[in-house]
Amino acid sequence: MGAEQPPYADQADEWLVDRCREAVDEAAFAELVRRYRGPVFRLAVSILGQEFAPEAEDVAQDVMVRMHGALGSFRGDAKFGSWIYRIGFNHALNVKARVRYRAPHVSDESLSTTPSADRSPEDQLQDDRRTRAVHECIAELPEVYQSALRLHYWLGASMSDIASMLDAPENTVKSYLHRARQLLHAMLAERGFDAR
Amino acid sequence: MHDDHLMDQLLRDTMAAPSPQLSPAFDARVMRRVRPRRLTQTGRWLIAAYVVVAGATAAWLMRDVPVSAIVAALVMTVPIAVGVSAYGRRITLGD
Repeated sequence: MGAEQPPYADQADEWLVDRCREAVDEAAFAELVRRYRGPVFRLAVSILGQEFAPEAEDVAQDVMVRMHGALGSFRGDAKFGSWIYRIGFNHALNVKARVRYRAPHVSDESLSTTPSADRSPEDQLQDDRRTRAVHECIAELPEVYQSALRLHYWLGASMSDIASMLDAPENTVKSYLHRARQLLHAMLAERGFDAR
Repeated sequence: MHDDHLMDQLLRDTMAAPSPQLSPAFDARVMRRVRPRRLTQTGRWLIAAYVVVAGATAAWLMRDVPVSAIVAALVMTVPIAVGVSAYGRRITLGD
């Protein structure tokens, strides 16, 4: 017995949008939420950072509610996904400006690699310092680089997913990542760390 | 190229934490926020009774007030009431 498929699972986004607008169909809206809740949440958490996941969930929820209120103004000039990601990106940036000075829910250390038992305390301390430095340097990068790095390295998003979330061609995303690594390398070197 | 590869590995190690997940109640919370709020049967009766009593009381209190003053009061208060109501709705929906 297979899992039950949600209603409208095989319909295109545009059809669902029309259905929401014309027939006020709750199931069509629920399908849009099911499709976009995860990517919008990942986009939000990639902007807000690892330590603000609860705020990222609030952003995703606000974006879904805004989507519901703004479906009437969606003209279909751009892809529906691009439209919703742009709302999410802008809202996450606004929230980031507000939570910047708030204490994070978890520390950077607890989000990194787990300590290895066969490493000396000195090596472990050095690794912790470097990890902290990496997180601090990432926070100084341009927003779009930070987002691309977290989506790629932390959240495991594919290049095509990152490209649609950031509304940029895949080659541009690759160059964001390459440039971000170059900048990080230089910033870490300034702080006396190398990538080894 | 070598440095880029090392930085790639460092980032993989540094960001090896598990991805956060949305809470299971996410969909229900969204649907609750977008669903139009409907009054219960009792609520509707209470609102209707309030409107009737308030209207009758206002008419009785204003029996000696000139019509022009009543019109002036309505012109001033109705737009404010509509504005406050629309603002409250916006806040509730989180727009």
